[in-house]
Amino acid sequence: MKPAQRRLFACPTAGALLLLLALCFLPGIDLIAADADLKPGDTIGPNNWQRIQGMVGDNFLNRIKAGHSIQIKAPKVYRPLKEYADATEKYSGKVHLGANGELLGYTAGQPFPKLDLSDAQIGQKLAWNFFWRWLGDDYKTGGAVKGGKIIRSAIEKDGAERRADLVSYFLFPRTRYNLDPKPAIPGYEHIDYMQLRVDSYPRDAAGTTTLEIRYADPNRADDLYIYIPSIRRIRRATTTQRCQTLAPSEFNLDDINSFNGKITDFNYKFLGEKKMLANLSQEHLPFNRKQGDYLPLDEKWEVVDTYVLEITPKDSSYCYPRKLLHLNKMTFDTHWTLIWDKRGEYWKEQFGMFTPVKLADGREAWSVADVVIVNVQNGRSTIVTATRSYNKGYSATMFSLATLESIMRGGSIE
Amino acid sequence: MRLLRHQVARTTLAFILLWPLPSSAFAESIFGEEFDKFIKEKVSFGGFAENASGLSVSHGSRFFSTSNRFIMNRFTLQPEVNVDMTDWAKLFISWRFVKEPRYSAEAKSREKSVTYFPAAPVKPLSNTFYDEDSFKPWEAVLDLRPHDRWKIRLGRQFISWGETDGIRLLDLINPQDLTFSPPAAPNLFNLDETRIPGWGVRAHYTVQPVSNTILEFFALPGFFDEAKQRVDEIVGSNDTGDLKVRYGRWSAHPETRQIFRLGPTTFNGFGNLFANSLNPACAANSALVSVSCLVIPSTSRELPDAGDSWKIGTRMSHSIGKLNFSLGYIWGFNPQSTDMVFKVKGVSCSAPVPGPCLAGAAPSVVRLRLVNDRTNIFAGQFNYPVGDLLGLPVNTALRGEMAFLPDKPYNISKFPGAFGLKATVDPKHPDGVVEKHTLRYALGFDRTTLIPFLHPDDPWRAFNLSFQIFQSIIFNHEDGIHPFSSAERIKKVSTTLTFRMGTGYLGDTILPDVFTAYDPDGYWSVNPAISYVPPGNEKIRLSLVGAFYGGHNKFKSFGFFDEKDSVFLKMRYQF
Repeated sequence: MKPAQRRLFACPTAGALLLLLALCFLPGIDLIAADADLKPGDTIGPNNWQRIQGMVGDNFLNRIKAGHSIQIKAPKVYRPLKEYADATEKYSGKVHLGANGELLGYTAGQPFPKLDLSDAQIGQKLAWNFFWRWLGDDYKTGGAVKGGKIIRSAIEKDGAERRADLVSYFLFPRTRYNLDPKPAIPGYEHIDYMQLRVDSYPRDAAGTTTLEIRYADPNRADDLYIYIPSIRRIRRATTTQRCQTLAPSEFNLDDINSFNGKITDFNYKFLGEKKMLANLSQEHLPFNRKQGDYLPLDEKWEVVDTYVLEITPKDSSYCYPRKLLHLNKMTFDTHWTLIWDKRGEYWKEQFGMFTPVKLADGREAWSVADVVIVNVQNGRSTIVTATRSYNKGYSATMFSLATLESIMRGGSIE
Repeated sequence: MRLLRHQVARTTLAFILLWPLPSSAFAESIFGEEFDKFIKEKVSFGGFAENASGLSVSHGSRFFSTSNRFIMNRFTLQPEVNVDMTDWAKLFISWRFVKEPRYSAEAKSREKSVTYFPAAPVKPLSNTFYDEDSFKPWEAVLDLRPHDRWKIRLGRQFISWGETDGIRLLDLINPQDLTFSPPAAPNLFNLDETRIPGWGVRAHYTVQPVSNTILEFFALPGFFDEAKQRVDEIVGSNDTGDLKVRYGRWSAHPETRQIFRLGPTTFNGFGNLFANSLNPACAANSALVSVSCLVIPSTSRELPDAGDSWKIGTRMSHSIGKLNFSLGYIWGFNPQSTDMVFKVKGVSCSAPVPGPCLAGAAPSVVRLRLVNDRTNIFAGQFNYPVGDLLGLPVNTALRGEMAFLPDKPYNISKFPGAFGLKATVDPKHPDGVVEKHTLRYALGFDRTTLIPFLHPDDPWRAFNLSFQIFQSIIFNHEDGIHPFSSAERIKKVSTTLTFRMGTGYLGDTILPDVFTAYDPDGYWSVNPAISYVPPGNEKIRLSLVGAFYGGHNKFKSFGFFDEKDSVFLKMRYQF
């Protein structure tokens, strides 16, 4: 079903009111939430799915139509961390966009705290706010999961599952808020982030480690080195083929963290504000579900305010001609990511839940918890339980090839 | 350190005692809660069990009746344990147990079919030759990080340098166990499973992390490893203790090497490559064909394994922009089987006294020792990702590897040889050895490519493509340089090309991969594999693997294995 057709069917009383019909075909009409008056305790199921139409992905909605029920809860509110807010206040005045959408004058914090939604460049600014959202000075993905690892389950259409365990370590060397040196590690001002990803299960994959470096230079592609235990060597890989499936998962390189592309490689269009259903305080980690199915069984959902950002590639051969992010207005994290293919057909649907985590000083922050991506065309899905632990104090030395040279089976590097 | 020793000792003891117990047994451990917590949080177990069955599909030869085509049935059990003792110390130990139930029919077949002169010493490998049943750790390393920039690894370990795939060029630090598989067959057993680890130390010092400026040093003293008797598997050898020549699974036609023809009788003339007969009449008249002109080789091996000598090396790595490179140096014996040479240790008579030989009544015997020489290797490697080139999306990772071996020894003989043989002793090189500077390099090109029509289930599942070119250049080359095991000349420039392609289907439950190699001299190999990983169990992997070789003869390059074509079924369970 093409987007335009999908929007038509999405209108609850299509044809009844001319005005409403016209609205259906205006850009951004699918931003209208079916029922913004959802109350904590409300239950949504096959009999009243219309109340959340447009507030979740279509595939998820179809599951509700088919019998799944969810319950609404009171929203969980997070507050910006003081250091991040201070950095935003201190540095944002100097930030501006270059001719090609690159970020100039940026030091730390949120690049564009004051948003004028009628600004012609609002889409690009939202994209940069998303990229530089608060993620700590460093973090370990999976660090707050029991066992300290990311759990990834690849689910086939028939429900068969394969599990993999891994960890990933991120370091943001030029936007540091808590850990010295601040705001940047000397010598690393040209690097946006560095990531180490280490597989630990199953055994044959254990020890496979990637070192990925994202450079601030918009014209420089990421560096990617892979340590392969079966040959005990480091291999270089290109990062320019970003569309390939990271099988057996349904993610590709740019699906990591909802959108992991180089910001300057894409065009952005702000489609409007919208209320969406999300879960900012996931109760069970990982959430309870039936074996072979990605649906969370007993998690409750809340209404959140989002910005809707449409991403289109500058490279016409790119796999996703259209991707929609629904950005949390406060955290700039993504709750729902919707993707269409080149034929205009709905392709992938991704949603992320969040959970509160404690920083070392006892303050509360937030982290992604479970992330689900569903390929609605082939029926496969992938669930990743990836709660982060922040500000671990990782040294820049850890993110070097010497670390890859010393990986063992089992993959422990801390 | 005291705490460390304590933890290591306790962990080892606990591992030995608790390994066979179910996990619930830990709940009632006699070691106390603190120890229980340590085991649960800091210790992880893993490993695999695998059975590999191999079936010969080649037509065999008239000299070796492969009546038993079931050439391999290897069961391997490899338990592994990781211990995160402290922030700065980690321990990893693995054991390898291998059992190959073999069939006496095979041994008898070999015994009957291998011709030799005199016939008495020739024996096939014993049926237990491939078994590994030692409790000595296969790999046992203690990783220490005394400082943020220092990483030190102590113990029995693997060290791999280089960038190549499938064929080793700089990966010469650990020897390879060729009882496992024939060469250029990375889909059959990967390098990690065929290298032989060595005891030693390896240290990294990160000078500047942002540019990956790293100094590395390793030393493998060798004296912790016993010089284990192990047939090289390419050449028959009498180094197995009882001084009886044995030919292993991958022996490259030991039965069909050079033939010395004496009328209707046929003899193995291999020794004539390296020594002249004791009979002066043979030298005086090279056209003379007599049994006394035959020189029988008596081969033995010297230092064939890890642990026979020190091996040290150092290298420095650095990145400049997108270019990452390293320069290094290795000193020690070169474990590559194809780099070995036969050294002549003397010529004697096949009879107890020299008289019959001198009188032209008996053949001579040359004592040849197969040697891995000590080697200096100057090493270099680099990698560089190429995005767009002249506006075209190349999207390829370029990698290169270089080894310069000064004064590398080669066997050399005169072509054509006397007595109608292809080659015999070169008068200019009576010891059969010449040393030449040698440069070897490899260039690799790796990329992923989408071929949607071959992937209807997921057009965005990429094919991994890899192309490599290997070249070896012998400086000041002389005609007559040949491999130690045959009379095929090695040219000044030798080239090998490889191509590999792999992908995954149905959510990577079906994984085809093919590795091919081609020597422009007319030899080739193909190593296809298809693996199945059940969608409901990530621990199981079944692989069907082929190893096929060919060429215009069977005395060089991949042609060595022309009649060793095989298919294998591997079943692996990871735990």
